[in-house]
Amino acid sequence: MSEFLEFRNVSKRFGPIQAVNGVSLGIKKGEFFSLLGPSGCGKTTMLRLAAGFEHPDAGGVILDGEDITDLPPNKRKVNTIFQSYALFPHLTVWENIAFGLRVAKRTKRDIDTEVEAMLRLIRMGDQAHKKPDQLSGGQKQRVAIARALINKPRVLLLDEPLAALDLKLRQRMLIELDMIHDQVGITFLYVTHDQGEAMSLSDRIAVMDSGRIEQVGSPAEIYETPRTSFVAAFIGDTNFLEGEVTGLVESEYCQVKIADIPGVICFNDKSMKPGNPVYLSIRPEKIHISRDRPEESRLRNIVPAVVEDMIYLGSTTKYWVRTHGLRVQVLRQHFRFFLDEKPIRWNDDVWIWWHGDDGFMLDRYRAVDEHLVTLPPRKVGEPEDNDEKP
Amino acid sequence: MRRESRQKIRETLVSFPSLFWLSLFFIVPTLFVFAIALKPANPYGGIASGWTWDNLRSLVNPNYLVVAWRTLWISVLSAAVCIVLATPIGYYLARVTARWKSFFLMLIIVPFWTNFLIRIFAWKILLHPEGAIKKVLAFSGLIGPQTSLLYNAGAVVLVTVYTFLPFTILPIYAAAEKFDFQLLEAARDLGAKRLQAFARIFLPGIRRGLITAVLFVFIPALGSYVIPDIVGGPSGEMIGNKIAQRVFVDRNLPQASALSVVLILSVLAPLVTVLALQRKREKPESLL
Amino acid sequence: MRRSRFPFFVTMAVLFFFYLPILILIVNSFNASRFESGWQGFSLIWYKRLFHEPEIWRAAKNSLLIAASATVVSLVIGTTAAIALHRFARSRLQRFHFGLVYTPLVVPEILMGISLLMLFVAAGVELGLFTIFLAHVTFCISFVAMTVLARLQDFDESIVEAAQDLGAGWWATTRRVLLPMLLPGLIAGGLLAFTLSIDDFVITFFVAGPGSTTLPIRVYSMIKYGSPPLINALSTILLVLTFTAVAASQRLSRSRH
Repeated sequence: MSEFLEFRNVSKRFGPIQAVNGVSLGIKKGEFFSLLGPSGCGKTTMLRLAAGFEHPDAGGVILDGEDITDLPPNKRKVNTIFQSYALFPHLTVWENIAFGLRVAKRTKRDIDTEVEAMLRLIRMGDQAHKKPDQLSGGQKQRVAIARALINKPRVLLLDEPLAALDLKLRQRMLIELDMIHDQVGITFLYVTHDQGEAMSLSDRIAVMDSGRIEQVGSPAEIYETPRTSFVAAFIGDTNFLEGEVTGLVESEYCQVKIADIPGVICFNDKSMKPGNPVYLSIRPEKIHISRDRPEESRLRNIVPAVVEDMIYLGSTTKYWVRTHGLRVQVLRQHFRFFLDEKPIRWNDDVWIWWHGDDGFMLDRYRAVDEHLVTLPPRKVGEPEDNDEKP
Repeated sequence: MRRESRQKIRETLVSFPSLFWLSLFFIVPTLFVFAIALKPANPYGGIASGWTWDNLRSLVNPNYLVVAWRTLWISVLSAAVCIVLATPIGYYLARVTARWKSFFLMLIIVPFWTNFLIRIFAWKILLHPEGAIKKVLAFSGLIGPQTSLLYNAGAVVLVTVYTFLPFTILPIYAAAEKFDFQLLEAARDLGAKRLQAFARIFLPGIRRGLITAVLFVFIPALGSYVIPDIVGGPSGEMIGNKIAQRVFVDRNLPQASALSVVLILSVLAPLVTVLALQRKREKPESLL
Repeated sequence: MRRSRFPFFVTMAVLFFFYLPILILIVNSFNASRFESGWQGFSLIWYKRLFHEPEIWRAAKNSLLIAASATVVSLVIGTTAAIALHRFARSRLQRFHFGLVYTPLVVPEILMGISLLMLFVAAGVELGLFTIFLAHVTFCISFVAMTVLARLQDFDESIVEAAQDLGAGWWATTRRVLLPMLLPGLIAGGLLAFTLSIDDFVITFFVAGPGSTTLPIRVYSMIKYGSPPLINALSTILLVLTFTAVAASQRLSRSRH
């Protein structure tokens, strides 16, 4: 599949702030593509560049082979779902949906047919005469979607459409959006700061930070093989371990010295040599914890530790343990009836272990990204483990 | 870039009607006032040719200074009384339920919809020596039988307050509406007495409304003409009266212009301050 | 938290203060006595006299004519000003523009009156209804602009973007979205301009010619030189008219919802 919607080296500055910094991105036809990142990372600006509400300072936007960079928004074959829905308050649901067709001067018969079809799609046929202020949040969103889709845009742009909804409604709308994408089949460009939304809906995700793209990939690629500490910490939780390669093991693995833990086995996908510094990202659910020492195994890393903090979450428990001066987060799922077991308690001596395949080497590590990982509250006055840069 | 210049053209086109009209009918006339102040008067009531400082020099006259001083303290006092009355009202209106809000606002605005000459006239009757109020006050011994409630500076202050109070209430109410009253609860929670919370938290919180309110009284009051004309009498004369006198009675337009220049300059001071405060924000915000 | 009753009492006292003179006026308009010293029986004589005053009818006609035309013109100019101020908000031109529109609101009327008089005298324009019209448009523009601007600032920007997103060009957006949503603001601005024009005295006084009277000017000369009871009757009529107009417009705006 060729690139359907392309950003070629676009940049956009607002006053002193460089919102988008030389970003290139290609979105395939029919994809559900998400731009994921914290507030201010530039994702909304990217969307507005695609819609035509902002003009790039440099670079261009290409849609289906055509350069649309200089086209005004009303001439582009893309439609936007706004965060506040932006329904016309003086028009009914019916008139709102019909708006794009009316402006395009379609015949009355065409408009009637298509609006009826849209109303059926969003299951709001009996509310067509209502005004937006009489609708609930979820209903407003459906009308916004219908109003956009009726124009058969080549790309549908969605600007954090679920942000204003409460949790239960958000979960329902997530499923609806997924369904609509499957039914209608057009390309979706979805902007959000919520990793859950991005992961569950998208074919591919681009993680953005400070105007640049950190990584593009499928949800699983992003989660399991993060290229940078930002991506690793922004999505889910992780442990960052700094070390130095001390030797090679077999053809695919290497030995890493982390703090004063000798001989940590790690999969060597970056072809590191002894002496290279390395940063590992290990997700908490990949680490096991128990009171009894596990069996030795060729690729298993086993380390003794002391429990410092824990949070019971029902199906899982998060532990923070200290070993060799490092603080490690472990996520444990309770496979069996929890109350039958002797629970692990504060200050207990435990063993933690993980498989050599499950640590991942980062391309880039920044200490400042550590603050994205959830840490338990420390006692008042105790210094932080990581230096938090404001 | 082509886009930027297209934007500029569009901006100029849309702004043109009001810029043109206001420049022609507001800026240019003001310049004329300054110009005519420097011209000598024609004995037949017109403007003679040539230029002179005489008009400005004649301003330094003890009569004018008395009038100027009176204008100033009447305006300040009226503004102060208006603020003191309007603040509790704005506070009350902002806290009351929506139905009562529109009811009270209507009540406050309706007198404003009547002709203001008529309202001043009504006060003239009320304050009349033969009027009811005088009789009641004299009877209860609060004032002597010879004290006149009318035709003095006090009457001017009273009627000025009456006229401009709605203009003070509205901006203060608008600012109080946007005020988060939980802040007062927080202050009380931390130990502040009611009055302390009011003075330290509420008043600074509605600062912009207060400033607007003061402007909406003080500046028009400085230029008051009709109120002192109808209820002020000779001891309540203000600059406005003097200007009108020069125009209609003495037919001395240059002198009138000179007096107007003084008024313009004394009005500019608070105005420039407010506009400078506006500049700190990016966008001009409507004050209504 | 126990609420202080003080603000409530102040509000009540001030409202009483507001309505006292008006009530006295209304009562006295039915007073048969020529002087306000005592009640001499209920009478409609002053209303009858009022209807036979040709001067007053002429003045009323002039006022309405000027108010209607000034409202229309100032609505157009004021709305374009508000749109410019809102759309191009951060430019230097608009900062100047804002100062220019804002200043007439706070400048004392006598200054506007005398400066316009100087303009007309210097330009040799004859004072009359036309000069009054020009003056009224001038001060109404600011009020209309501020009213419409306030409404624009409450506007959800994304609605205009939504219209463009759905294919509407500049004119279609204005016609189908901007103006309909702005309509309440336009009505409010128009009403405000109309009232101010009908009501205006000082500026009108300075730029009116000898032959042209408006209602306020007539009232002023009646106050200074004429019959007080007639003014009471006139005031009461005007009061009833404005009250009805305001109540009607409130009813209209409520029935829309």
